[in-house]
Amino acid sequence: MVSASPPIAEPQSTGRRADARKRRLIGVGRRLGARIVAALVMIWAVATLTFFLVHALPGNPVQVQYETLLSHGVPPAQALKETRIIYGFVSHEPVVNQYGSYLWQLLHLNLGQSISYSGVSVSHLVLAAAPWTVILVLSGLVVSFLLGVLAGAVAAVRRTSKLGDLLSISGSLLHGIPQFVMAVLLAYVFTTLLPVFPFGAPYDITVIPGWNLAYIGSLVSHAVLPVFAYALSSYGGWMLSMKSSVVSVLGDDFVLAAELRGLKPLTQLRYVARNALLPLFTVFALSIGFMFGGSIFIEDVFDYPGLGHLLLSSISARDYPLMSGTFLLITVAVILSNLLADLLYTFIDPRVRGQAS
Amino acid sequence: MLRTPGRVAGVVIIVGFAVMGLIGPWIYPHNLPVNANAIYAGPSLAHPLGTDFEGTDVLALLVTGARYVLLSALIAGLVAVVVGTTIGLVAGYLRGLTDLGLSRFTDFALTVPGIPLLVVLSTVYRFTSPYMMGVVLGLTGWGGLARAVRSQALSLRERPYLEAARGLGLPLRHILWRELLPNIAPYVAMNLLLAVIGSIYAETGLFFLGVLPAQVNNWGVMLNLAVFSAGAIGSPQALTYLLAPLVSILLLTLGIVLLLDAVDEIFNPRLRTL
Repeated sequence: MVSASPPIAEPQSTGRRADARKRRLIGVGRRLGARIVAALVMIWAVATLTFFLVHALPGNPVQVQYETLLSHGVPPAQALKETRIIYGFVSHEPVVNQYGSYLWQLLHLNLGQSISYSGVSVSHLVLAAAPWTVILVLSGLVVSFLLGVLAGAVAAVRRTSKLGDLLSISGSLLHGIPQFVMAVLLAYVFTTLLPVFPFGAPYDITVIPGWNLAYIGSLVSHAVLPVFAYALSSYGGWMLSMKSSVVSVLGDDFVLAAELRGLKPLTQLRYVARNALLPLFTVFALSIGFMFGGSIFIEDVFDYPGLGHLLLSSISARDYPLMSGTFLLITVAVILSNLLADLLYTFIDPRVRGQAS
Repeated sequence: MLRTPGRVAGVVIIVGFAVMGLIGPWIYPHNLPVNANAIYAGPSLAHPLGTDFEGTDVLALLVTGARYVLLSALIAGLVAVVVGTTIGLVAGYLRGLTDLGLSRFTDFALTVPGIPLLVVLSTVYRFTSPYMMGVVLGLTGWGGLARAVRSQALSLRERPYLEAARGLGLPLRHILWRELLPNIAPYVAMNLLLAVIGSIYAETGLFFLGVLPAQVNNWGVMLNLAVFSAGAIGSPQALTYLLAPLVSILLLTLGIVLLLDAVDEIFNPRLRTL
């Protein structure tokens, strides 16, 4: 990626070059540090929000939990201890203490204990669900990104032809379709009207999970519809932004230079694509985060046991510790992906690195 | 205006849905027409869009469901635009500590993923009223606009006419609303429409997920019942029942997008053809 962009400057002596590099490294380090601190503050803010959300729940579930334990014949001291294990705090203390206690538990990566899966820790459930979401999110994102970027580049280069028009229209049309509409449509068309793919669940229950072909095949065929539901509903965005990015790069001097130098069209396209892709990369990394939040619809329609599914089922089971834990993890995933996006951009775009110092 | 059929179509679609929302509850003041003998009936004269799993007329469901969707989306759009524009203008114009605080707050609002937050909020509040739903949707959806308005205000504040306004000692209120706002008004108008689209998706999506109470009738509830209770995805006869709310959502969005185009062309002199 880096080699495609013009060199920043040619320092005369090696001493000055080393100096410049050192300064740049300090700049990158400072930028990195500031971003990490900002992300930590954001996580703290989200934890606070989650605490007060649990607090605002109607019917005071924390107190109810304590009283239920009492009515089951548990001695008060034991009941308090168990409630604290489940929620991270008890409602007998002043709010400040409850908040402190909650944060203290979080610092130890303790999200409390689930009620509907009695005795299982929330962190365990959340970590078991996370891989499904990550697989779904990443493959959906990669498919839509590749499709969108290819179609966008072609639409930009051939923008005066029928093909370009068609691609642009496809982008604008698909851009407006929300995920749940796309998911329901795909499910209806490809499992009922035209049954090609299996519906629901991440794999066939008859297949034994493991490193065998039947299991992997089942996983893939069950993942096709959810992945494409995501990919098609975000394809339009990629396609349109890639098109406008390519169009703006096509006007740059280096494209003209490449053409004058008589480079092959394919080489020219490579130059253009590399530069046009740059702004899309940040959006790409940012959307990893947003997909954690947005995968709820697709997981719900296709019964995919990821984080969104867990959040929804915790709500219908009134399992509030599980709900707040899942919400917190989804949000932290967003924050971390944003941080990653930022750092990634620093590394792939030399101009940002230069500005840092 | 009349030369471009797209805009006319957009206006027609939006007016059509608005009429639906206004008079829908009048046409069916009491119970919706239910025909227990015709479950999952196909389109016919009596039921132009067929019937659902209980034999309820789908068109009636669609028409009566429009009001909630439109009303809350409109309110959400207005709330998001008012909050986003105010925060953006104040942060961008005042700069300094105010800007720092408001920008961090905006970052926070942008980071917390909207749908999971709304899902969790739905356990705290019951959104039976479209007004309440609209306000909450608006309060979760202003971040992007605030950030964009802030950057515009940052550049506008250095213009000579604003320097003049400051020199004249005009009050802050006047500068923000009389001097800055008119300059970004077209942008804000476009964002109102975008916010309305976003709110339509978010609220129908929430009702579709089934985390909100289903006592009210709207398109999201229709879809939820169709997919999760009636198993419409598995039955080929449910075609019109399943498609009716989906197509309505898409059609309404299309109408707003076409209107957005029109607004863009009216305000953007570079795109003006006349």
